[in-house]
Amino acid sequence: MTANVSPDTTHLEVRGLTKSFYGVRAIDSVDFDLRGGEIHGLLGENGAGKSTLCSVLSGLYRPDNGSVLLDGEEVQFRSPQESANAGIGMVYQHFRLVDSFTVAQNIVLGLRRDQRPSSMRQVNQLVAELGEEYGLPVDPTAAIWQLSVGEQQRVEILKQLFRGARVLILDEPTAVLAPRETDRLFEAVTTMVERGHAVVLVSHKMAETMAYTNRISVLSRGRNAGSVTTADTSPEEVARMMFGDAAAAVRTSFGASATVGDLVLSVSDLQVMGDKGQVAVDHASLDVRRGEVVGIAGVAGNGQRELQEAIAGLRPITGGTVTIDGTDCTSAGPKETKHAGLAYVPEDRLGVGLSPGLPLGHNLALRSFDRAPHSRRGVLSQSSIDATTDHLVAEFDIRGNRTGMRVSLMSGGNLQKAILARELSEDHEVLLAAAPTRGLDMAAADAVRGHIVDERQNDRGVLVFSEDLDEIIHMSDVVAVMFKGQIVGVFRGDEIDVDEIGLLMTGSDSMHGVEIADLYPTEEEPEVSS
Amino acid sequence: MNGLTSRFRVSPRGFASPLVRFGVPFLALIVALIIGGLILAMAGNNPFEAYRTMFDTSLNGWSAMTRTLALATPLILTGLAAAVAFQMRVYNIGGEGQLYIGAIAGSWAGLALPPATPAVIMLSAMLVCGAIGGALWALLAAIPKAYLNADEIITTLMLNFVALSLMNYLIFGSQSFWRDPKRTVPGGKRLPDAAIMPSLSGRLHIGIIIAVVAAVLLWWLLRKTSWGFQIRTIGDSPSAARYAGMSVRFKTLAVLAVSGGLAAIAGVSEVSGVTKGLEPRSLATDIGFTGIIIAVVARSNPLGVVPVSIFLAAIATSGSTLQSIGIAVEVVFLLQGLIFLTVTAGEFFVMNRLEFVSPEPSGDSIPGDTTDLPAGAT
Amino acid sequence: MNDTVLVLSIASAIVAATPILFAAIGEIITNRSGVMNLGVEGMMLVGAVVGFWAGNETGSLTMALLAGGLAGVLLALVHAVLAVTLRVDQTVSGLSLVIVGGGLSSYIGTSGDPGLLSAPNGVEVDPLLPAALRDLPAIGPIFFGHDVVVYLGVVVVIGSTFLLQRTSAGLSLRAVGEDPAAADAAGISVVQMRYLATAIGGLGAGIGGAYLIVAIVGTWQNGLTAGIGWIAVALVILSGWRPWLALVGALAFGGLNGLGFTLQLAQIDVPSDFLKMMPFVAAYLVVSIVSGNPARARKLAAPAALAQPYSRENR
Repeated sequence: MTANVSPDTTHLEVRGLTKSFYGVRAIDSVDFDLRGGEIHGLLGENGAGKSTLCSVLSGLYRPDNGSVLLDGEEVQFRSPQESANAGIGMVYQHFRLVDSFTVAQNIVLGLRRDQRPSSMRQVNQLVAELGEEYGLPVDPTAAIWQLSVGEQQRVEILKQLFRGARVLILDEPTAVLAPRETDRLFEAVTTMVERGHAVVLVSHKMAETMAYTNRISVLSRGRNAGSVTTADTSPEEVARMMFGDAAAAVRTSFGASATVGDLVLSVSDLQVMGDKGQVAVDHASLDVRRGEVVGIAGVAGNGQRELQEAIAGLRPITGGTVTIDGTDCTSAGPKETKHAGLAYVPEDRLGVGLSPGLPLGHNLALRSFDRAPHSRRGVLSQSSIDATTDHLVAEFDIRGNRTGMRVSLMSGGNLQKAILARELSEDHEVLLAAAPTRGLDMAAADAVRGHIVDERQNDRGVLVFSEDLDEIIHMSDVVAVMFKGQIVGVFRGDEIDVDEIGLLMTGSDSMHGVEIADLYPTEEEPEVSS
Repeated sequence: MNGLTSRFRVSPRGFASPLVRFGVPFLALIVALIIGGLILAMAGNNPFEAYRTMFDTSLNGWSAMTRTLALATPLILTGLAAAVAFQMRVYNIGGEGQLYIGAIAGSWAGLALPPATPAVIMLSAMLVCGAIGGALWALLAAIPKAYLNADEIITTLMLNFVALSLMNYLIFGSQSFWRDPKRTVPGGKRLPDAAIMPSLSGRLHIGIIIAVVAAVLLWWLLRKTSWGFQIRTIGDSPSAARYAGMSVRFKTLAVLAVSGGLAAIAGVSEVSGVTKGLEPRSLATDIGFTGIIIAVVARSNPLGVVPVSIFLAAIATSGSTLQSIGIAVEVVFLLQGLIFLTVTAGEFFVMNRLEFVSPEPSGDSIPGDTTDLPAGAT
Repeated sequence: MNDTVLVLSIASAIVAATPILFAAIGEIITNRSGVMNLGVEGMMLVGAVVGFWAGNETGSLTMALLAGGLAGVLLALVHAVLAVTLRVDQTVSGLSLVIVGGGLSSYIGTSGDPGLLSAPNGVEVDPLLPAALRDLPAIGPIFFGHDVVVYLGVVVVIGSTFLLQRTSAGLSLRAVGEDPAAADAAGISVVQMRYLATAIGGLGAGIGGAYLIVAIVGTWQNGLTAGIGWIAVALVILSGWRPWLALVGALAFGGLNGLGFTLQLAQIDVPSDFLKMMPFVAAYLVVSIVSGNPARARKLAAPAALAQPYSRENR
């Protein structure tokens, strides 16, 4: 039940916190402080130590050194439970909810008898009331898997409020949300701080941090890089703290596309089923030409994965066609689509793109092992595989490999480079890349983007999927928006309009429906849902 | 547990050196023998005397060695059967039943062909028949696994009991083709001389050569061919294999057929080289199950299967002589179980590095390079 | 009327179902926490031999069941150390339990002087209810003629259903099996819960083994369970991890076990080897078919984290 706290006094202080993993310092002597009634932005690149700091505060990790003070008293959390009992609530980016349980079951999970009403009906009612109070409406009896990502996030927040959290740590809360859901989230967060809660907003997005926080602290390479009051600072100053002096040198601009050539990938009126038998891709049509990058924007879970798999030949197609460089690949398997000219960088790096327990050399030969020179008449040539490995490691600057080491122990950036190396080093006409920079640090992400956009210069086509709208707009010549399995909008070059793309991503009616209709030759399109 | 991880740091090994990969199972064997010795001591026996007796009767001298190698012959084959499936992370627990079917099909060929058939043809026919029988029997589990995703652990295991009952029926429950009508105690017809594997020395017959050749051949298949490349990929990550265009379904069928065939050849080797007729009681001695222990101890490496089989055969052959010093034969089963247990536990130390963490938590004292940091650890 | 083929075979099916039921309910609870323990056969064997010994020493059914259950728990804890703490492959660890259980039980069974192999059954198993009820036509032998353990089995089914579905302990247990990271974040100790659930699985298997020997078989022999533990494992899958369906399944397998007896009474001649095969053929067919029906497979979905080791720091 919501504990009767006096949030005004809440004061969380962190002094000299250090935590290492396998000898690498994830955070190093970090200081941080937080007061009731404020939204405190915690900024930093991927790997800057934000998640580690939060995990220490939430009792998941124990620090090697340093102290945490709550209302002036030193506390040591040996488990998430102790942290929760002290009033610290953590909302992870990847939700910690049991999919098959109801909302209310998830909220009371792990609570002692004296911390919750005994009957589920009372719990349901309390949860509904709490949701009402904070502007986080959700049906307490619904199962988690039935809810949208935004609703699941509300459950996570309600779970912490129900447990009496005074301090709420939101880890990248907007990463999975559409713009409209983001606004709604911040309305609720504002309500919370008005009631005296303290909120930590962990983010790497400058705009929302500047817009919604009272103070900002920046971490860089595991250390404090400064703490400022939001009203007195500028995005430039914060960026300098995050990236050092290199901040001025913003990402390289890729410029406009050279010359657009022939059609190299064509998806027409495609229908694909999802894992649960639902319609995942609903009459989607797309064209990719040589020399252009087509980016697909959309909130995760709107059929992007199924569309990728269908194009790559990993998922059966129930209607429509896929043509790769003139070859009909509608009923093709992954071997045939590769043969037709598709290079595919899948969303799931470890597990699909790479076989995690096997060495790098094996993985680099994964799609060519059965052909000369790697094998002749079914007999492998280890020397040929080794030679290719050495060559690709040098060419794509893949680091951190040791002979015989399982590839899963390499860093995310190097894993992605390995996949790109394999896919781009073989004959292909079009590249399909899904979430290519997810979880990578700035340098690795830039290297990956560079490789992808280079394809355009080599007169090949690129189809790229990403949840990061900035990245899509930055890289693409054509942006298409996917919502509920449909392509609900296509924008070329100068027509690209961030606001409208944001609206379409949330399922709103297009302001320029006519223009979109013009882009589609087929009769069924567009199916702009409302 | 918390207590363990707070004093020791557990970190995954990127690469286990051969010393670790082979040293840890070896140490595990020693630990099993020590625990076994303690149990013997608790039961009032002298473990040193017991182990010396076991060594003398199984490994000391040529005649002891031939006895051990004769018993190792079917164990190598069932060990390989389990190992090839484990390589693809398919758990074929059905080696026992596939061995019976191999014995039934192999002895059928030996009895059905004219006794005057040349031995080479006769033995080849028996091996082929047996292997096909075992492969088909394994497919009974492989097909539901490949097409319906049925749990192969349960299906292969259930089929063991079915095969056992079937074999018992042929000899004890009916006047079948295999049963010798002239014997008062039910038993199998004796195979003609051409259908009996020539002896190398005492009980040791040419089956051992077949078994060792099979081990080398299987190692080559798994390590040096594109078929093996696919098996290893599927074993590690079926979704990556599918992405690479491999047919997980056909490989499941193929691997279980090969596995069943190998276990069945063990059955042929036993009927032809040892029992010389279909004798259920002598065939149902857990040879198939022991193959699973062997594959685990050998870490699914076909070449490792050979020495491990010989080691377990040594324990098994010496068991019966333990009675002379007042120890029950069953201690053999106990030791096999303990070995399986300690080697399984040892796998943790092969996969992970365990470091003692000094009491003062200082990051500086721990050397490390960033390459050890798994993806997403921060 | 009470000795008709039908009545007697139903009554015997109920008795034969009881050891399978105890083992299966235990395994359901283990599985629901995300731990797969294939070692049921081994735990039953050790439970049987230890239970038989305790029964002989004390002459008490309670002591036999307790001792058998405790032996099962000890063996299950070995699995917990391997699977939960050392995070080794749960399939391999479970199989090792089968082999250790088989070896240990044969060793215990033949050690000592005189060995248990030749020992008579030291436990009297009496019907629980008065003769007046037992002699009722048809329903007497079927419903009222059994010993206390059979009725306890029904209590265990009801109790475990209530535990899993209606209590917060059950909610926590299921959460650990569905999503250990979520349970951990909610303050539940994944390790503790999994150890506890694995131990309960051992208790069920051990009691099942002890009941099998003192109430049904009556003498010790190596490999006494002859596959019953595996039938229990198959049953857990078939029941979709639900105690009620496990009860129904156990009765069906109990019936198949006693089929020979029934047919013999009905004077139908079927080779005994085929009768022995029946439960295994049935389990093979049902596992194959049920897995193959996607709608049913989804409804009977296994705990999402079944057989997956959990470690907080290397997620």
